[in-house]
Amino acid sequence: MSKPFMHFNNLTMSFTTRKETVTAVCDFDLKVDKGQVVSLVGASGCGKTTVLNAAAGFLLPTTGEVLLEGEKITAIEPRCGMVFQSYALFPWLTVKDNVAFGLKMKGLSRKQRHLEAQKYIELVGLKAFANAYPSELSGGMCQRVAICRALANKTDVLLCDEPFAALDAMTRQVMQQELLSIVQKSQQTVLFITHSIDEALIISDTIVVMSARPGRVKTMIDVKLPRPRDVNVQLTKDYIDLKKSIWDMVEEEVRSSLKLTKRAGMGQD
Amino acid sequence: MGRKELDLWSASVLGALGILIFLGMWELLTRTNIIDMFFLPPPSQVVQRAWNMTVNDGVLLVDIRMSAMRVLIGFLLSVIVGIPIGLVMGMNPYIRAMINPIISIIRPLPALSWIPLSMLWLGIDEQQKYAIVFMGCFASIVVYTTDATLRVDPLLQRAARNLGASRLQVLLHVTLPGALPDILSGLKVVLAIAWTCVISAEMVGANSGLGFRIWTAKEWSDTSQVLVGMICISLTVLLLDILFRFIEKFLLPWQSKD
Ligand SMILES: Nc1ncnc2c1ncn2[C@@H]1O[C@H](COP(=O)(O)OP(=O)(O)O)[C@@H](O)[C@H]1O
Ligand SMILES: [Mg+2]
Repeated sequence: MSKPFMHFNNLTMSFTTRKETVTAVCDFDLKVDKGQVVSLVGASGCGKTTVLNAAAGFLLPTTGEVLLEGEKITAIEPRCGMVFQSYALFPWLTVKDNVAFGLKMKGLSRKQRHLEAQKYIELVGLKAFANAYPSELSGGMCQRVAICRALANKTDVLLCDEPFAALDAMTRQVMQQELLSIVQKSQQTVLFITHSIDEALIISDTIVVMSARPGRVKTMIDVKLPRPRDVNVQLTKDYIDLKKSIWDMVEEEVRSSLKLTKRAGMGQD
Repeated sequence: MGRKELDLWSASVLGALGILIFLGMWELLTRTNIIDMFFLPPPSQVVQRAWNMTVNDGVLLVDIRMSAMRVLIGFLLSVIVGIPIGLVMGMNPYIRAMINPIISIIRPLPALSWIPLSMLWLGIDEQQKYAIVFMGCFASIVVYTTDATLRVDPLLQRAARNLGASRLQVLLHVTLPGALPDILSGLKVVLAIAWTCVISAEMVGANSGLGFRIWTAKEWSDTSQVLVGMICISLTVLLLDILFRFIEKFLLPWQSKD
């Protein structure tokens, strides 16, 4: 058997605060193939962000490991490019320089990196804004820049933490399509967190439903719907059945998560 | 509903009008001897005096240049030393904990209190003036820079590391530009402090500069000259402020666009 491209090998992540130790993720096991688009869905607070942070090397596992092409991730890993929900663009850099940031760190010349950045900027239709600053862009544009910035850095895995959550419904749908077209063109491996089952169904090859805290893989669903998945697919019986069955599973977890928080007497995000 | 804002033109006209009325009243009160001219000369006399000091003997220009040089050199020295220390303190909690007490002890000391020691060590030549300015500015610059560094969004530093930046690259390409706006507004405050340092130092021990000029004029009860000196201080600080705003616009093009 060949090694999986990315492997979360019984990942357990605990946080120790002054009062207690919280296990956010427990024995999370997941294999991701190259070029696969995998969505993580689950109740708020079930550990999705924590899993992504482990993949990026921002947090190190309490036990278990994350392997990329068989290599253990032990530090911040530039091969796993993160797209943050809040964009995290550098406000003092233009769109072009934001996208070229990773290439600059690698030591590419100004000309080379701008040429490279330009390709991605054109790909997402922001050519007219290449010299604008992030403060001059809308949320949807900022998120496109953030995606470009990760892609231009030639990441092996694109990690997206609810990237479209802050966008309005229409921009969101357009962005989903754009992400898909980019991803398919470049055979990019993607790990995608979302609150929206529709979003997961449109984007993913595989949907991972996580259990309430401590997060683990509850079910994995291969989405066999034909691509491209436009609005018409969303009206087919297959789609609706799939959505229903995923919703049933997620709902169960959301309810148990709500009970959990009520008992602990604390709010969630 | 927003506060009513005047456009630049009306604001300038009103501002000029305010100054004219102020000067007119002053002229009137002194000319009519309601205020004794010995204590407060009329503005026309002050202007006359300024004219003499610039055109006839040129001493005023020399004084301005001397003071400005002292401010600039002392200020630049404290910037060169203070900003790197502030950056390092902002990034490393251990170093911060170690240096903070020292800075906290130096910072409240008024520049005047350094004059005796500095005179004993350095006499009254130029270096002593630089030292006074340096001691007056250095600690504040360190504190402003440390705070500015701490206010940089850690998410940006994390994003940069994720894009392959080394720790040094994060410092140069994220922390420094991210902290720059706050550092610059801190420097603007410190530059005004630097002027007060120089004026104090020149009043106590110097033979040139605006502070010296004001102090000697007082010995001769020459109120016009005192006022000329004071106005020059005010104008130079204002001028520097305008200059500083241009520098800010140039260094922070991303901030002016909203
Ligand atoms: N740095 C931290 N310190 C303590 N607890 C944390 C920390 N980060 C996350 N947690 C806890 O871990 C759990 C999972 O968080 P997270 O991964 O952000 O969930 P999700 O992204 O699925 O909403 C939450 O209960 C949260 O309170
Ligand atoms: Mg989250």
